[in-house]
Amino acid sequence: MGSSRSSLRRVPDGQQLLQETGCEPERWFCLGLRSEDLEAELSENPIGDRIVGAFFQPGQETVDFPSFVRVLAHFRPTEKNRTRDGVQPEPANSRNRKLKFAFQLYDQDRDGKISRTELLQVLREMLGLQVTEEQLQSIAERAIQEADLDRDDAICFDKFRKSLEKVDIDHKMSVRFLE
Amino acid sequence: MFSRMAPRGRSGLGRSLAELGLLLLAILVLLDGTVLSLEAATSSEIDTHEGKPGTHKNTSKKSFPVLGIKYDDVSVPFEISLWVLLASLMKLGFHLIPRLSNVVPESCLLISVGLLVGGILKLARDEVPPVLSDRIFFLCLLPPIILDAGYFLPIRPFVENIGTILMFAVVGTLWNAFFVGGLIYAVCQIAQDKYSEIDLSNIGILPCLLFGSIISAVDPVAVLAVFEEIHINELLHILVFGESLLNDAVTVVLYHLFEEFMESGSVSAVDAILGLVSFLIVALGGVLVGAFYGILAAFTSRFTSHTRVIEPLFVFLYSYMAYLSAEVFHLSGIMSLIACGAVMRPYVEANISHKSHTTIKYFLKMWSSVSETLIFIFLGVATVEGEHHWNWVFLTSTVVLCLVARVIGVVGLTYIINKFRIVKLTTKDQFIIAYGGLRGAIAFSLGFILHSEHKKIFLTAIITVIFFTVFVQGMTIKPLVELLAVKKKHEAKRSINEEIHTRFLDHLLTGIEDICGHYGHHHWKNKLNRFNKKYVKKILIAGDRSKEPQLIAFYHKLEMKNAIQMVESGGGSKLNSTFPSTVSMQNIQPKIHSPPSARPSERALPQLTKGREEEIRQILRTNLQKTRQRLQSYNRHTLVVDPDEEGFDDLILKKRRMMELDWKLKQMTNYLTVPRSQGSPTMSRARMASDSQAYVKPGAENVPTIKIDLASPQSPDSVRLLDEVVQDQGLTMSLPSSSSRAYKTSGKDDGRDQQKLLRCLSDPGPDVDDDEDYDDDEPVPT
Repeated sequence: MGSSRSSLRRVPDGQQLLQETGCEPERWFCLGLRSEDLEAELSENPIGDRIVGAFFQPGQETVDFPSFVRVLAHFRPTEKNRTRDGVQPEPANSRNRKLKFAFQLYDQDRDGKISRTELLQVLREMLGLQVTEEQLQSIAERAIQEADLDRDDAICFDKFRKSLEKVDIDHKMSVRFLE
Repeated sequence: MFSRMAPRGRSGLGRSLAELGLLLLAILVLLDGTVLSLEAATSSEIDTHEGKPGTHKNTSKKSFPVLGIKYDDVSVPFEISLWVLLASLMKLGFHLIPRLSNVVPESCLLISVGLLVGGILKLARDEVPPVLSDRIFFLCLLPPIILDAGYFLPIRPFVENIGTILMFAVVGTLWNAFFVGGLIYAVCQIAQDKYSEIDLSNIGILPCLLFGSIISAVDPVAVLAVFEEIHINELLHILVFGESLLNDAVTVVLYHLFEEFMESGSVSAVDAILGLVSFLIVALGGVLVGAFYGILAAFTSRFTSHTRVIEPLFVFLYSYMAYLSAEVFHLSGIMSLIACGAVMRPYVEANISHKSHTTIKYFLKMWSSVSETLIFIFLGVATVEGEHHWNWVFLTSTVVLCLVARVIGVVGLTYIINKFRIVKLTTKDQFIIAYGGLRGAIAFSLGFILHSEHKKIFLTAIITVIFFTVFVQGMTIKPLVELLAVKKKHEAKRSINEEIHTRFLDHLLTGIEDICGHYGHHHWKNKLNRFNKKYVKKILIAGDRSKEPQLIAFYHKLEMKNAIQMVESGGGSKLNSTFPSTVSMQNIQPKIHSPPSARPSERALPQLTKGREEEIRQILRTNLQKTRQRLQSYNRHTLVVDPDEEGFDDLILKKRRMMELDWKLKQMTNYLTVPRSQGSPTMSRARMASDSQAYVKPGAENVPTIKIDLASPQSPDSVRLLDEVVQDQGLTMSLPSSSSRAYKTSGKDDGRDQQKLLRCLSDPGPDVDDDEDYDDDEPVPT
């Protein structure tokens, strides 16, 4: 345990991280990164590569602790009652930020839209070899038709958010451990 | 309740309908009363007639009876049918009077009708048949409602909130039972009413506790009936409803426990522990029995591909067996039924035909609807029938105590639960949960089978509480929901986008949890899914479908629905955006609004997916022929052979024909017109119908376009279009300019025509009814 002060001092930018993510750094030390198990699990995960890739800033080859923390901060459960004054930046675990994170996993080239090819890629990864290319095309086609407002053959963030409005993102995209 | 379509009848027509409805109601009630009293009269007549046969024979030769009444033989089925008829006509009647059904929930109206009928019967015959006996209730009336609830239970929100639901169901009910039982005992001891004929202080603590346990259970029937009409958001609905289902186990255990204690007369600590153990056995045993039967049903449905007609029967029978088996062992029948329905559903749905699915759905809805109506009517009748002991102190204190107990219970439990929930329950939520704790017929039936000496006063109290909750709480909950601006249910259907993204998020969260090393929610769900896919699905789902991933199944369902929609609206529904991928027409027709890279080369020979074949078949069938299909010999074990029935797998022959058809269409550069010289349009249509491959290659070489007119030949739009494009030819099959060649040559002209075609085909078609809502829900939590 120990006082949070001491742990904050140990971590570089600890104070700033606390501000940004709202979470005590000492928590993060408890994360067990058992690499062998992790590799096995993530390799089975269809979008494992993307997830791992999300931790890396574009262009960087390594992940440092603050970026790791920043990414995981998205998955803290949302606090409903927190009042935000306009001064503070939007907390990392707000619904919007969570969705933005998920959106970025789709949108690898960071152009702000999920294009048809990107969607197809995701579908291919998720459904694997169980379906034919034709079926994938059909599904992607239909998905885009449903979501595409401005006829540019891609899904923008707004429409992405809209199609998930029925889903309880606060619940779904939260890992309780990180509270 | 279910698809209420009553318009606001302010017009004269509405008013006359309303009057008609009222008249109908009145007539029916009178009729029912008279018939039942007639039955009494005739039975007595026949009795006296039988009384002296001997004397009759001696005196005169009986003339041959031309017309006689013999009611006894058919009396039971006759009465049953009459009651069911009454219930159904009541339902009809209420929906004809929209103003009334908006203010007063159906359950209240039904109870009132029951009171009325009971009153009439009492006047006519001076005694009322005990219709709500516990056997009829528990064996016939309750199972359909619970099965309907269990089969269509939205699994995902249920499992996500299972902790909360269990807390409310178990701890909440226990709290209610002891609180009410204990305090009622205290009240009885204190209050001494000189004018009452009952000595309240006679009622011991154990009967009071028994009474408390009966009255404390939230009733699923009442909750369903009321909540169905207020459309609150899914979370609250599943919380209250789940609680009402799961507290059955608690109620059963408490009831038997206290009954045993009353018989034996003494309680010991061992008994209390045994009670706890018994609760676990009852609950888990019920679920296991249900799951067992569910798996049996799923396994059976794997082999029913040749006898589609009896598929629904298996579903119903196995579920009912699950219920009865659980009841045999004093396990919780309700939980067994729920488990059976929930376990069996994903596998059965993958195996059975579309028609069986529809049949199951509608039968369940029909039975549960009738059951519910009957229960409320009988409740009214039974109220009139029973002898009541009015003791104001007892009654009022019961009602008050129930309310207070519920409120305190909910608030207290929420405080504890919120520490563990990610999405907390707000005060508004708590209020709705507390207010939605309705009591109903289960409490009444349990009270009915009491063997206590205080049965009458207990029954009166139970009825009072039921009436209070159903009438007062039921009527006021809707305006309260509006007043408090509680979140309502989203009526939108699931889109393919939502499905894809939800799955994506599932994978994402599983990955994140792996990174954190935290075995959370998603981790276990993932493991369950993998187990399901690897082993269970292979056993329980027939053929190829076992390998079909969830997303594909969902997608197929959506497309199928679209196809049916399109066909039902006469083929005149949207052709363009919402329906792109499966209509192979689209493949053939270049999208005008698509990006410039129209890729005509790719469309040379489209490979047809099963969905597209479905579409083509549908369209061709509707538009080419109204001729009768050649019926194969009618066989009781198969319905009329219907291409829809063959399922997605079995299309090799059709596929080949489709591909040839497609190829031929591609080759066609002329109108697929049947030249006039070949006879009347009917003849040519018939010829085309009988052999869809025999296209007459017209010799004419006019405009090099091929157009398929998707609107039915009779629709004015299509006629207009045809006039523009073709001058009085026979049946034209025209496909909007398919080949790229045509696109290049005809250019603007064609574009205009195609836009006209698109415009006239953009008829939105009928709305799909919204009780499809829970259809698309996740089978196994994925």
